[in-house]
Amino acid sequence: MPTDTKRIQGPDASQSTFLYKKRANTVQPALLEEGKRQDGRSPLEIRPIFLKAGAVSQAKGSCYMEMKNTKVICAVYGPREVPRRDGFVINGQLRCEFKFATFASEVRHGHLTSHTEKDLALQVQQALEPAVCLHKIPKSQVDIFITVLENDGSVLSAAITCASIAVANAGIEMYDLVIGSSLRQTGETLLLDPTAFDETAESESTDDTQAIVTVGFLPSLKQVSCSVQQGQLQCEDSIKALQQCIDVCERYYQVVYECLKKSVKKLKSPVESPMDEAPAS
Amino acid sequence: MASIQLGEGEKTFIIHGICKDDLRSDGRTCLSYRNFELECGVVSNTSGSARLKLSNTQVLVGVKAEMGPPNPLNPSRGGIEFFVDFSANASPKFAGRGGDELAAEISNMLGLVYKNKKMLDYKSLCVIAGQCVWTLYADIVVLECGGNLLDAIALAVKAALYNTRIPLVTVHKDMDGTEDIDVSSNPHDFVTLDTKNLPVLVTVTTVGSGHIVDATLEEEACSMACIVAAVNKEGAIDGMVKKGSGSLTIDSIYKMLTSAKQIGKDLNKSLDDFLSKKGSDMSSKGFLT
Amino acid sequence: MAIFITTPRKRHVCDEFTEPQRLVTPGATITADSDFMRGHGTYMEEDELIASVAGVVEKVNKLISVRPLKTRYNGEVGDVIVGRIQEVGQKRWKVDVNSRLNAILMLSAVNLPGGELRKRSAEDELKMRQYLTEGDLISAEVQSVFSDGALSLHTRSLKYGKLGQGIMVRVSPSLIKRRKTHFHNLTCGASVILGNNGYVWITRTPTEEEEAPDGGFVQNLQPVSDEDRRVLARLRNCILGLADHRMMLYDTSVIYTYAASEDYPVADLLNPDIMKDVILKVRQQLNQEAT
Repeated sequence: MPTDTKRIQGPDASQSTFLYKKRANTVQPALLEEGKRQDGRSPLEIRPIFLKAGAVSQAKGSCYMEMKNTKVICAVYGPREVPRRDGFVINGQLRCEFKFATFASEVRHGHLTSHTEKDLALQVQQALEPAVCLHKIPKSQVDIFITVLENDGSVLSAAITCASIAVANAGIEMYDLVIGSSLRQTGETLLLDPTAFDETAESESTDDTQAIVTVGFLPSLKQVSCSVQQGQLQCEDSIKALQQCIDVCERYYQVVYECLKKSVKKLKSPVESPMDEAPAS
Repeated sequence: MASIQLGEGEKTFIIHGICKDDLRSDGRTCLSYRNFELECGVVSNTSGSARLKLSNTQVLVGVKAEMGPPNPLNPSRGGIEFFVDFSANASPKFAGRGGDELAAEISNMLGLVYKNKKMLDYKSLCVIAGQCVWTLYADIVVLECGGNLLDAIALAVKAALYNTRIPLVTVHKDMDGTEDIDVSSNPHDFVTLDTKNLPVLVTVTTVGSGHIVDATLEEEACSMACIVAAVNKEGAIDGMVKKGSGSLTIDSIYKMLTSAKQIGKDLNKSLDDFLSKKGSDMSSKGFLT
Repeated sequence: MAIFITTPRKRHVCDEFTEPQRLVTPGATITADSDFMRGHGTYMEEDELIASVAGVVEKVNKLISVRPLKTRYNGEVGDVIVGRIQEVGQKRWKVDVNSRLNAILMLSAVNLPGGELRKRSAEDELKMRQYLTEGDLISAEVQSVFSDGALSLHTRSLKYGKLGQGIMVRVSPSLIKRRKTHFHNLTCGASVILGNNGYVWITRTPTEEEEAPDGGFVQNLQPVSDEDRRVLARLRNCILGLADHRMMLYDTSVIYTYAASEDYPVADLLNPDIMKDVILKVRQQLNQEAT
């Protein structure tokens, strides 16, 4: 098992204090108190998002996204030539790498790529593939690197949106943007844009259906490119949840559009204005 | 997961058949499965095992129950871990690390579905809360890789879990308060798992404007996207992931989920009927038939 | 909609199975008589002829050879094969023919679209991919065999070339009987190419109005009708059934199997029990003919 030689590790048996805190708290805070969630939002309220395209100067395209406490940064390199080991491939390829910063979640992540990170990377790749004109970049590959700086829930949907803005910022031809959104369903209540607490908290009655649904949506083509449901839902409820996520994606689309427009305008007029970027919420 | 290439004529033939005539290359309709051959209790060193053959796809699942410290986040629950291994017998490209990516995809899918606390009675797998729980290690070996791998694996896993026998464990409290675990050495003293809520995976592959289940390798090569849905015996969807590099409209997703729901119910029923008759077999007759 | 889950079925030897005359394994002595000529699958050691493969001993006059029961395809000049393009290279295509090495189809060995007869130019080389690309199926004839065993193919007749809509089935090459012709137009409305390499191509017979074989330059992508599709699916299941039961594949056996299978719906032929009954009937029919 390769060890991390870059950092000084604590003893093997050390545990995060978070775990002790959790065990000590026998009373879990409720998911919904008086119709409001732990962070003060109502169930159908989404967090404001802040987007900046072109955040990484060295990358061909990049994007930084903040949804309150979920912070994701994405850098795109390419299209680059793919080595010819695997034979001729007529279309371009997307390669995606997903990484949680070790300090991103409440429990410290290891430095090796975990199963979750590999799975999320594949999800983002499959979410973006329908949108990118891969036939325009034969024999090449586009590298997408996603880093989650702070994880407060809805990480996959944030990564999808961030990655698609970064690819657009890199000037790679796309059929459409991909916007991600997610929700948590407890019984009959839908909580849009769940935070980490919303995602993991247990509801009072254990008989309620519990599910987390994440969707990646192409707003102009009206097609779904990524759909993950974890938890049990009846077939009709599953479709309703998907539809709700799609509605949220359409709300995000306007913000994404403004962000990209701003970045293009900045390119056209290279003289920097002395004022800071105002958050687009 | 397709690994073969087809010519344009072959692809057109398959796509037209599915979209227009509801007739596939082997005469099946779009929503019919090939025959399964299932055998339980094939490996003697496991707590439970099953071997499933679906035409040219063959998988072997072995479940081992081991006692150990629990996950710190869930101190009074047992757990289940999946590991998929592609045998190089299936294809030379799986030799070494070749099949690792595909294996990781499948393990993640199974992990996502079984993460739901209502799947298995995880609380009953707890021996001493905070110290000792049963963890089930489900190891899947893919012996032959034809189409429709996920469905075959999920069925075999459910059968292996039905077949699993966990030794009976009693906990004594000593006079000074320490707890002593006593594992019964009598092979007839065992606990089985309640598998009636376990789902099966149904992969609905979209080909052209239609969709099919139980796709062969050729049909998978013609498709751009598929939906893998975990369906339990009541028809509830226990998990759903869209796979592939194509995109789907919400209407197609709805149609595919509705098909998956019906087929999942039928599949569960056939499997439960089979398991109630043959699921507890432990005597291995050998693989040569 | 019924889904069948059964216990694994036992394979048992069919009642009419006759033990072949001489079965040998590698290392078994065939004969100590030095009068015989050595054929494939044998080697000579100290005046003794010893088998090097597991199979049936075949004796033709003074030539002794051992035909292995299951082998990769070994090509001979004049064989008809069905192959899939694996790679597009400099002035040649590499074709997968179920053999040890990929076969080679030279650019000079194909007919150019339009049937022109001219020297191949650099432009033709660049446009190779437009004619045959990776994944395409072709039918071709073996022109020659290289010293390392790789085959050199040609499609210089209009009956060969790129294959259009249909079904490709893979069987073991040892099951394909060597005949005068491997292109069969069956009465049920389908055409079958029994490639010597074990790849069988099933397609529908082009009607009179459509052109005669044209080398596959223009692909017909019109949808195939429902009845034709059923015929092709039935043929596919029949051929796979014959292969499963290790019966030799040639036009007569395929036609008999098709006729015997018409009592059952196409999808039922996937059921091994039903296929067993069908093959039994065919076996009896063939045995009757032989006697």
